[in-house]
Amino acid sequence: MASSVRLYLTCIRNTLEAAMCLQNFPCQEVERHNKPEVEMKTSPELLLNSVVICRNEAEKCLIETSINSLRISLKVKQADELENILTKKFLRFLSMRAEAFQVLRRKPVQGYDISFLITNYHCEEMQKHKLIDFIVQFMEDIDKEISELKLSMNTRGRLVATEFLKQFI
Amino acid sequence: MACFERASPALKQILLQLYRADKPVAVEHHLHEFGSLQYHIQSYVSEAHHVYLSISTPILSTGSSILYGFPHYTIETVKGICHEVVQIVEPAKTGYQLTLKLDFSKIPRKKDAVKIITDISSVQAVILSSQLRELLKNVNDQEISQGTYKPIKLVYHPNEPFYVVKQPAKLTVVFPIRFKEHSDIIIAKAFFQELVDVGNSGACARAPPCYWSPIPPPELRGESMKDLSTNGGFVSFEISARHIEGKKLDKTVWNLLNFNALVKYHVKCTKGFVQRRMRSRLQSLVEALQQHTGMEEDHNIAKVKGHRRMKKLIKFTRGAILMKRWNLRNKIKRFRSRIRIRGFKKFQRRWLKLPSFTSVTSYHKLEKF
Repeated sequence: MASSVRLYLTCIRNTLEAAMCLQNFPCQEVERHNKPEVEMKTSPELLLNSVVICRNEAEKCLIETSINSLRISLKVKQADELENILTKKFLRFLSMRAEAFQVLRRKPVQGYDISFLITNYHCEEMQKHKLIDFIVQFMEDIDKEISELKLSMNTRGRLVATEFLKQFI
Repeated sequence: MACFERASPALKQILLQLYRADKPVAVEHHLHEFGSLQYHIQSYVSEAHHVYLSISTPILSTGSSILYGFPHYTIETVKGICHEVVQIVEPAKTGYQLTLKLDFSKIPRKKDAVKIITDISSVQAVILSSQLRELLKNVNDQEISQGTYKPIKLVYHPNEPFYVVKQPAKLTVVFPIRFKEHSDIIIAKAFFQELVDVGNSGACARAPPCYWSPIPPPELRGESMKDLSTNGGFVSFEISARHIEGKKLDKTVWNLLNFNALVKYHVKCTKGFVQRRMRSRLQSLVEALQQHTGMEEDHNIAKVKGHRRMKKLIKFTRGAILMKRWNLRNKIKRFRSRIRIRGFKKFQRRWLKLPSFTSVTSYHKLEKF
């Protein structure tokens, strides 16, 4: 892994470790309701400052924290048109199957490609450090998968092109 | 629109069935392929060994003039498929451009039969190829001598025209590429990039040089704007004399006819490949989440609990509850006893009672009569 990526991911990991101290907190507006405050944003005193970690213009991470929930939004690098459509396709595919992940948001935050919503219940059910491990691994895997998909598509294209041109010889 | 396989699989299967039939059978089939291609197959019991095959196919048009009926050279090519077996019927069946009378009795009964029937099934490919082949051969020589290389617009499918430009030492075939979806355009562009790279590499040095450009090539100057407006750019092949000499002519013509279909097929397959890959990746990501968070174990425990609950539920079915509540089991037993004598219980209690030896302190219940 390139050192710049490692630094970027380490920074995200450290920020998540610091931000993920969530506790149960009932809604202040509606009685007997428990809503993720980072989504509702009803009480500003329950929200913390959001953090943006940027590797470059095309690759960044937004971490928004509140008393009982945390929202992580990722922007994945898209070097060219092919990577752009592959990223969009893949992340849309994952978002449409968000129920399989529990912590994945169905719709990403505007300006980002994919978002996670972690509540205090998720932290209670799952282990906090392992949840952070998963987020970091997910980021690594997405980059790797997009690169591999692009490579495979080009290889397929090259094979088809070679076979087609061979027929003329 | 052409197909990768020259012979129509459905037509071949029907003809083989008719050929292998022991008795003469009356059959009438209508086949539709690629939207605009139609076959009509008919055989009669009275005419054993004879099958009538009618075909209606989109005719190659040169843009300005639309031809009705097949030209002479096409008819000649069709006759050449297997002149002993195939006979052209004049006039053709109504609604079709060509009717062939196939005499199966003249097909040798061994290995060659399948080959001959495959050849007959590829009649549409023969028609298409012959038209383009003839066009490539007989391009107006006067225009070349005058130095004006006018492109010939060839239309098999209304949305997929392509151009042939004959120049002194080469033929340039230009394909305008159009797609409906943006993602298709990008996949196709990646493919064209590979096509150009492979064409320029040493591995396919003898293949026709291939070019892709987002703007129309200079050979198409003067064509209508509607035809030149594309979203996938223009792919050009430079065909030299060595690519159309002898047997290579057929292959070249067929490859050019199929180029649009090949690109679309490649795009479709690539999309399918990406989808499959994403599906498998999703699975591995979910597994990773379960491993990281230990959800797998919890899930198992939940499963066991659920199983036990289900067992309990099965015990307390509606029928079981009713049985318990109303003591139905004893009642049913009583209903099912074979002999029922009215008042027998009373009689039994009064006259057939065994003396009981009870203690002094015991209590006797008085019976009512």
